[in-house]
Amino acid sequence: MFETKFSAKDVDVFYGTNHAIKKVSVEIPDKTVTAFIGPSGCGKSTFLRCLNRMNDTIAVCKVSGDIRLDGEDIYAGDVDPVQLRAKVGIVFQKPNPFPKSIYDNVAYGPRIHGLTASKAELDDVVEKSLRRAALWNESKDRLTAPGTSLSGGQQQRLCIARAIATSPEVLLMDEPCSALDPIATAQIEDLIAELRANFSVIIVTHSMQQAARVSQKTAFFHLGILVEHGDTTKIFTNPSDQRTQDYITGRFG
Amino acid sequence: MISMTALVIAGLSVLFFILAQSRALAAANGRLGNLHSRPSYHGAYVFLWVILIGLSVLIALSLIWGWIIDKALMSQIAVGLADKASIEGNLVLSDAKAIANGGTPSTIDALRQQVGLRFASMDGFRIWGSVAFAIGASCAAGFVTLRRVGVDFRARNRTERIIETILWCCAAVAVLTTIGILLSLIFETLIFMSNIGWRIDKFLLGTTWSPLSGVQDGVIDVEKIGALPLFVGTLLITAIAMLVAVPIGLFAAIYLSDFADARVRTVAKPVLEILAGIPTVVYGFFAAITVAPFIRQAGEAMGLSVASESALAAGVVMGIMIIPFISSLSDDVINAVPQSLRDGSYGLGATKAETIRQVVLPAALPGIVSAVLLGVSRAVGETMIVVMAAGQGANLSVNPFAAVTTVTVQIVMLITGDTEASVAAGPAFTLGFTLFCVTLILNIIALRVVRKFREAYD
Amino acid sequence: MIENQPRAANSIHGSVVSNARLKRRHAAETRLKAYGILALTLAGLALVALLWSVFGKASLALSEHYVTLPVSVETGDSALLAKADFEAITKDSIAARFPEASSREDRKQRAELVSGGAVFALRDAVLAQPTLALAPFEHAFLASDTVDLYLKGESGALADQAKAGDLTVTVDAGEVEFVSSQSDFTAILALVRTDLVDQAKKLRDKAQLQDNGVVEYTRRAETETGEKKTKDSDEAAKRAGKRDALLAEALDLEQRAASPEGREKLTDEMPSLLIKLGETWIKVGEIGSAAGKGEIVGAIPHQSAYSGKDWQFMVNPTPEASRKITDKQTIWIETLRQSGDIESKFNWRFFTAGDSREPELAGIWGAAVGSFWTMLVTLLLAFPTGVLAAIYLEEFAPKNRMTDFIEVNINNLAAVPSIVFGLLGLAFCLGFLGIPRSAPLAGGIVLALMTLPTIIITSRTSVRAVPPSIRDAALGVGASKLQTSFHHVLPLAMPGILTGVIIGMARALGETAPLIMIGMVAFIVDIPRGITDSATVLPVQIYRWSDFPERAFEARTAAAICVLLVFLIAMNAVAVFLRNRFERRW
Repeated sequence: MFETKFSAKDVDVFYGTNHAIKKVSVEIPDKTVTAFIGPSGCGKSTFLRCLNRMNDTIAVCKVSGDIRLDGEDIYAGDVDPVQLRAKVGIVFQKPNPFPKSIYDNVAYGPRIHGLTASKAELDDVVEKSLRRAALWNESKDRLTAPGTSLSGGQQQRLCIARAIATSPEVLLMDEPCSALDPIATAQIEDLIAELRANFSVIIVTHSMQQAARVSQKTAFFHLGILVEHGDTTKIFTNPSDQRTQDYITGRFG
Repeated sequence: MISMTALVIAGLSVLFFILAQSRALAAANGRLGNLHSRPSYHGAYVFLWVILIGLSVLIALSLIWGWIIDKALMSQIAVGLADKASIEGNLVLSDAKAIANGGTPSTIDALRQQVGLRFASMDGFRIWGSVAFAIGASCAAGFVTLRRVGVDFRARNRTERIIETILWCCAAVAVLTTIGILLSLIFETLIFMSNIGWRIDKFLLGTTWSPLSGVQDGVIDVEKIGALPLFVGTLLITAIAMLVAVPIGLFAAIYLSDFADARVRTVAKPVLEILAGIPTVVYGFFAAITVAPFIRQAGEAMGLSVASESALAAGVVMGIMIIPFISSLSDDVINAVPQSLRDGSYGLGATKAETIRQVVLPAALPGIVSAVLLGVSRAVGETMIVVMAAGQGANLSVNPFAAVTTVTVQIVMLITGDTEASVAAGPAFTLGFTLFCVTLILNIIALRVVRKFREAYD
Repeated sequence: MIENQPRAANSIHGSVVSNARLKRRHAAETRLKAYGILALTLAGLALVALLWSVFGKASLALSEHYVTLPVSVETGDSALLAKADFEAITKDSIAARFPEASSREDRKQRAELVSGGAVFALRDAVLAQPTLALAPFEHAFLASDTVDLYLKGESGALADQAKAGDLTVTVDAGEVEFVSSQSDFTAILALVRTDLVDQAKKLRDKAQLQDNGVVEYTRRAETETGEKKTKDSDEAAKRAGKRDALLAEALDLEQRAASPEGREKLTDEMPSLLIKLGETWIKVGEIGSAAGKGEIVGAIPHQSAYSGKDWQFMVNPTPEASRKITDKQTIWIETLRQSGDIESKFNWRFFTAGDSREPELAGIWGAAVGSFWTMLVTLLLAFPTGVLAAIYLEEFAPKNRMTDFIEVNINNLAAVPSIVFGLLGLAFCLGFLGIPRSAPLAGGIVLALMTLPTIIITSRTSVRAVPPSIRDAALGVGASKLQTSFHHVLPLAMPGILTGVIIGMARALGETAPLIMIGMVAFIVDIPRGITDSATVLPVQIYRWSDFPERAFEARTAAAICVLLVFLIAMNAVAVFLRNRFERRW
């Protein structure tokens, strides 16, 4: 139905001697929300961080295998992770706005990548990103206020606005709602549904309800292994693996 | 004699400890469970009272008594030397004491011998009086507290209360030190200020510094107490030092915290720690013997005239001394910037350099500012490097190749000079007070800023 | 516009534009890294330069030299011996060895071969063994500092020059004419002439400065009137005169250097030239390419003329004016060296002697003992007070304004300049408590007050690191708060506390300025025997010595620094050991 955005084959990740991801192969379609679920420490976040090479910043982390974005190997020697991350944005578990103004937070990406030619254009990018992140109405009158002055949910939406300001093709979200209250969570979930129109979204989540609500595809990880992967409805109603069954019915997790 | 008495009091307190312990044991009647507190607490309670009362009476009495004797003798001397300055009186007094103690006075005359005799008798009385009172007081304390020992006596709680008070006193020493500094500085400063007719403007803004020039006649020339050249010299050397220390320290900290691998760190950290541990007198030697001649020769080779005690030499070496200070404080604050901020920046496709320049450094800025302020405070108060490598003449100049002097150099020169201590103390303590105020303000601002920074990220 | 971003479709390699930009961005990163490496390199180089300059200079203080001379006291009677004039005996011993020194200046130089302290060593040696004095005997005199430095090669060294010709010498009343059959002195003459050219160049530079002045004052005079104009014109004229004199002098030197013939007079700002003929030395005063003039130093020759091959030509490249030792003294030393009467020994004296005004007699033992007493007082005061204060602040202090005030005070005190503590010591210890000047007691109190904040801060950190579960456990079995603190928290925090105390003591050991303030900078020869004796400490000794003009003191200063650094390194090593061995991570 959609073309494949990411395809991973036989991916292994080591943290020092710890084998965190074991032979994971998965295909992630474009313009879809894919949820990675699984118990804590199962490697879902680690795998997510492989997709824009955030693991490069950890010295002891070694990644092997083949991960392709639009058919191109992102771990090839001539690929610059800096360039890659501009196309594959990431939102973290805890909101981490820079200690700068709201405007500068959103403008940071376009500025460093030189995406805009003029101030007016940059203003436009910032406004669009904030609108898409559903933060424009709350922040348009105080764009110069520090990003840290916003509430937790607003901060996370600011981080999403910041991530989409570089117009990435994929948006990775690492448990984006785990530090938020239910109302803020609902807002972010609505936002994710809207973002699907333009981006391929991959979300790591602890909450099976959330995965069921927002995603079309779901991948279940357990102990570093990709146990099952398919349409969300199928995984939640008719899982083919016993472990998936046990996890979604709450036997462990 | 006094120290012997202290030993006697210590012995007495041990004796009372044993007495109290055995009394408590006797009261327990063979069953320790009867006692509220264990016998050793009873002993400790009595012990503490005896030794504390005894020693404090001894010290207080001998100090205050001595002070009273000095006052009495000074008034006697003042009658004998009606037309002389009070400095002369002090000299007579110290000579008289030397005569009394069998030392070598500067001269011997009738007045000195007379005063000496009186001192000998009064001082003997003082010592024996203090000793008697101290031992009496501690015995009294011992017997009073000994009577409290009993089954229901809460010796442990009482003892702990005393010990907690002692702990509190130890913590209060810091406050007492600050008060002591302030009192000793302010006292001499006020005398000096009244001697110059409260012309604080002349002191802060005057350009001629020669405070001892008219002292022989007992007058201080208000035109010659201008400390501006000292302030400018201090600022010049501090500025040079910071120009060396801030970039090197900051870049080193950035490199060590975000770029260096473990191998580089195991070499670089000890280098910086050794630099931090080298005493300032060694830096002073380095500045005077190696750096100053080098700069002079280099300057001459380029056709510049460089003073052999140039501000540049002292400033550069002071900068080297402050490098580890800046780098370790900056390293701390750069590391305190949460990893999540760095991840946020990397996640947007920023390079390391961009992350550091645009995210980490702005976040760490308050901490870095406070590190620089503390560095400035150290540079302003640094003494040995400038005493050994900077100039002594107070010329008003901002030329880094010229010899300038600093506040600390002048304090050392005044105090170690040949002039009578009580005369030189005025300008020296006034300079010290100025120095204390400036560094205090810098420290308070720096500590505030860094506390705000820590609160933001903890 | 986001939608209109130029980007290559489906590529993670980016467009040409973004790649060019990326290159610049990575270049910025490389630059930042380079700055970091440069900064660390500079810091490292500064450390290397510092240590190199200290160690390099200190190596000169490692050994001392002795000059062995025959001594005759001519009495074994101990009563007479005690009264004997050993100064005269010493002088006679040197005079007997070098009788040719006749002028007052020469005799003074001759006497300065041995140290002023050698007299006392001789006296002690003789009094210890009176039978020695019955007959003439050999005694090793301590060499003076200038001789010692020359023997260590610090005042230049005599270097043998190549020569080919026969030398013909005629003596005429102390003046010596010498002619070599070959042009043996051409090389040295060329050297002397380059020296002349250099001097001329310096003079011309000076003349240029004067000329700048002339131009400036002439310019000023043009725009001014009246008294100022005349004053400035006069100044211009004066400077023009100076300039012309300097130029004339320079020209003269250059002409001398350029003329191929003729002899050059040697001044004491040029290398020293010496000719050796057996026992006789000639100090050259004038030199041509094959001949020259000089004066006789050393043993006077028996015949008034000499001709032959048996001669040596030596040069000391360090000019006489820029060293302490004279050419005559070097000749005597070389004579002694040749006869094997000079020996070098390890300089134990430096570690066992007290201070002295004579560099070759000065040692650091007095200062080291002074440091010991001072540190003892500091430790006894600062350690208990600091630890108890830390316990109070961490375990007992209520969260109120008084506690806050104490904390702010401690943090501020840690950053107060040390010299201010010196002033406090001056006013409080000396003025108020009446402790004698220069006493380790006063120094110890000042340093204790100074290190107290450091000790409190580090002790608090270690006390805080003890996990609350330990306290809960102790309180749970009914221990009082005080018992918990002293029985459980303090022992567990002790390694960390000790580390902090040692580091604080190391800093106090290197502290100088506050001790100068309370008079520990006085010249004290005696070894202090208690905390109220006059004393000095190692860093202050370093400061005092560095101020002395003698070059030999420079070496001793550096050596004293090395000793201080050894102590500091040892203390820090112990601290590191304690930290690694005993400190638990919770």
